Amino acid sequence: MAASDHTLELTGPTLAPPARMVRHRSSDALIRVIFVGTFAVTAFLIVTPLASLLYGSFRTGGPGTSAAYTTQNWQDLGSRGIINTLLTTCLISVLTSLFSSICGGAMAWLTYRTDFRYKRLLVAAIGLSFFFPGFILAMAWVILGSPGGIFNSILSDVLHIDNVQFDIYSVTGIIWIQVLHITPFAFFTLRGPLSSMDSSLEEAAYASGANPWQVACRVTLPLMIFPVLSSLLLCFVLSMEQFAIPALVGIPGHVNTLATELYLLTSFSPPNTGLAATVGLAMSAVTGLSIFAQRRVVHRRNAPTVSGRGYRLRPLNLGHWRVTASVLCLLYALLSFIIPAIALVYTSAIKYFVANPFEAAYTWRNYQQIWESPGTIRAFWNTLIVAGGGAVLGLILGTLIAYSTHRLKRRGYRALDILASLPFGIPGIVIGLGFLWSYVYLPIYGTLWVLVFCYVARFLPYATETIGAQVVQLDRALEEAAWISGANRIASFRRIMLPLLRPALQSGYFLLFIAYFREIAAAALIYTSSTQVLSISIWAFFENANWGVASALSIITSVITVALMVAVMRAPLRL
Amino acid sequence: MGIKVQNLVKRFGDRTIIDHVSFEIAHGELVSLLGPSGCGKTTTLRCIAGLETPEEGHIEIDGEIVFDAARGIMVEPYHRSIGMVFQSYAIWPHLSVFQNVAFPLHVRHRPRAEVESRVTRALEMVGLASFRDRSSQQLSGGQQQRVAVARAIVHSPAALLFDEPLSNLDAKLRDRTRAEIRRLQRDLHVATVYVTHDQGEALSLSDRILVMGEGRIHQAGTPQEIYGDPQDAFVADVVGAANFFDVEIQRADADDFRCVALDGTSIHAHGRVAVPGPGRVMVRPDRLVIEVDTGNGTAPNRLRGTVLQRLFLGGHFEYAVAVGPTLLRVFSPVQIEEETRVVVSFAAQDGIVLGAEHAPAEAEPGAWA
Repeated sequence: MAASDHTLELTGPTLAPPARMVRHRSSDALIRVIFVGTFAVTAFLIVTPLASLLYGSFRTGGPGTSAAYTTQNWQDLGSRGIINTLLTTCLISVLTSLFSSICGGAMAWLTYRTDFRYKRLLVAAIGLSFFFPGFILAMAWVILGSPGGIFNSILSDVLHIDNVQFDIYSVTGIIWIQVLHITPFAFFTLRGPLSSMDSSLEEAAYASGANPWQVACRVTLPLMIFPVLSSLLLCFVLSMEQFAIPALVGIPGHVNTLATELYLLTSFSPPNTGLAATVGLAMSAVTGLSIFAQRRVVHRRNAPTVSGRGYRLRPLNLGHWRVTASVLCLLYALLSFIIPAIALVYTSAIKYFVANPFEAAYTWRNYQQIWESPGTIRAFWNTLIVAGGGAVLGLILGTLIAYSTHRLKRRGYRALDILASLPFGIPGIVIGLGFLWSYVYLPIYGTLWVLVFCYVARFLPYATETIGAQVVQLDRALEEAAWISGANRIASFRRIMLPLLRPALQSGYFLLFIAYFREIAAAALIYTSSTQVLSISIWAFFENANWGVASALSIITSVITVALMVAVMRAPLRL
Repeated sequence: MGIKVQNLVKRFGDRTIIDHVSFEIAHGELVSLLGPSGCGKTTTLRCIAGLETPEEGHIEIDGEIVFDAARGIMVEPYHRSIGMVFQSYAIWPHLSVFQNVAFPLHVRHRPRAEVESRVTRALEMVGLASFRDRSSQQLSGGQQQRVAVARAIVHSPAALLFDEPLSNLDAKLRDRTRAEIRRLQRDLHVATVYVTHDQGEALSLSDRILVMGEGRIHQAGTPQEIYGDPQDAFVADVVGAANFFDVEIQRADADDFRCVALDGTSIHAHGRVAVPGPGRVMVRPDRLVIEVDTGNGTAPNRLRGTVLQRLFLGGHFEYAVAVGPTLLRVFSPVQIEEETRVVVSFAAQDGIVLGAEHAPAEAEPGAWA
């Protein structure tokens, strides 16, 4: 075609904008429907359990029973037993938070500020223990550290030392396992600020004649005060809402935290679900306020610390401390992942429990038993359905919320934002109890939907934060250019926003999948025999002293989770 | 008719960003919206595009009402016949050059052959014909800008909107691209709005310039009118370098103004203010003549001062001359040492008398760029 013909085309009559008949009003109405719909679903998921708890906290009887209104539950909150539990929980949480932040901070500092040689290995080890489910870790430590466990057997039978005994069923035991489990969270909270800190601030101190120790104490640490505070608060909340670890380790040792207290109040007769609801609300108040404070701290930090310029500071020379650092990091990797994993593999492969591997009788029976137990197979499918399908729903809702709060910004978007981040501050067991209080009145009773709703609500912030972070990074003009080009809002979203959000959607999906797959706290109160999931099955086997099958199932679950994590990490982030 | 804007008002909260702005742009005309940041120029452009909803007013594109507050009409951007080049270019990173440019045609469901020929032609026009299959992430800033232009013109829109399209390019590329945009716009003969804060861009590109400040249009006119005959001190300050000094206006007669400067020098100039009283005179730095003071009496339009600073700018010197409390900026090829007593003079037709309102901030010595 000749050039002049082309010219005629571009200067010729204007191409009509597409779909002239569809005027703005329909599209505006559509946007409104989407926004209102998102708001309604979110409100339903978050408000239902909370409102039910509030209702339950004023009832004399459990959900669905004929009962009267009372304030007795709130009075019982001040009883000696509950106050003692509260104090124990706070003690455990404060110490866990402190030790986790120290360990996580030290390892983040080693990785991002020094010439530590095994950085990549260390990050990989922390990543592995991050994805190692807490209840499986706790189980492994029971196998290792309980009175009849491997460590004590080795001490008395092999080394013939009888005056030293480990007892994992104790406050120390809970703290020990929680620190191992929560340290990665502190690491991930602190590594960003540490690695992006404006190194010229430190360089200026060196130039002023300060030695490394002085620089660390007088420049780095004061600059890190907000990130450290944020890490302490986050670890405190994670510890407060821990259910699996205190349940597996504390209940046998008669050490109760608020989470296990709530579980015992609900599950053992005579149940006192009203008091449980009250405890749950009180607990949520503590964790909610802490999360609120943590988010304020995150927003306040780092005006001067983070600069976009990527000057790398010459890493601090560890010198002869290098060996010590390596040994400590190796120790963390051993205790948080490697030894527990070995203990589980060992336990899953023996006929009956013997501490000495040379005297044990090995077998595949435990694995066979899994395939032969219809209940377990069912739990496996249930878990896959809830995690695989539920994560799709969670992701869709999370995307709609992130888009509504960051882009649409219609009236009420702030309320939606607050609503969607509330589950951050609500412990899983409490959300579970909330659904327990509400589902008997809903038509989803006894179906997997209860679990799906509960998980979607509990992990909603995972989705909104992951996708929201990507949405705010996308230039607004990318979408506006699509509108200008003639694509309506739906088409623009589908053809421009969705492809650009793909990396976040991908990692968001796997994050939710893994979270749903291994969740135990939220499920503990609301599963029924037909809606049992893997985590509950493992727990049940373990409680019935069937350590072998529990270990075998744990290994399968861990392998799936870790394999998925590796898949996510290596997933090509091409657009 | 190209674009028609009537009594446009846009508020954000209780801040009025656009305050009753009206203008018309003819078919084939390129009009610049010029003003400092925050003057409402980009918001005006976004209202035309449909990306912002104004509070009041009426907008027509190519004879079609796309916004009318009184009648409740608000046509979404995707139903307006427009092409727009964004400041950030907004090239979609997941699409190739061809797919980016073809997007407006794809959403209009044009036949394949037409898409092919239009995209080819648009890419030819911006000089990127050989880049069509590249990934848009492999493009330099200048090339992205061209893709953005191609995407804006490929569907022959009735109005073309530019939002500071050159501000992210380096100086050399900016000059070249400026000329190309002008040629392209002439060829396409489309009503064009060009938002910029760069007076050089506005002066060289535009058929007409609308100088905006604080949400209002201060002056509309050809580049020559705006530069040579600014209506007020704001316009004089925004368009080109300007000197101001305070005077007392004694007689204001059409083209013959008689004033007295603060130091008693009598000033002959022309102007726009009709009332005697306090006023200001504006003279462009290149219209001031600087010479060493030989002490020869007084004459009209000859101000005595001292050279505070001299900067060599290649083609000429830039002098800062203190005349009483006022600093004058003078461009001159003549070389005079700092601290020298000088006389600064100008012709009566180069001095413009303006009202005392809209006084631009007083320049500090050494603080002008």
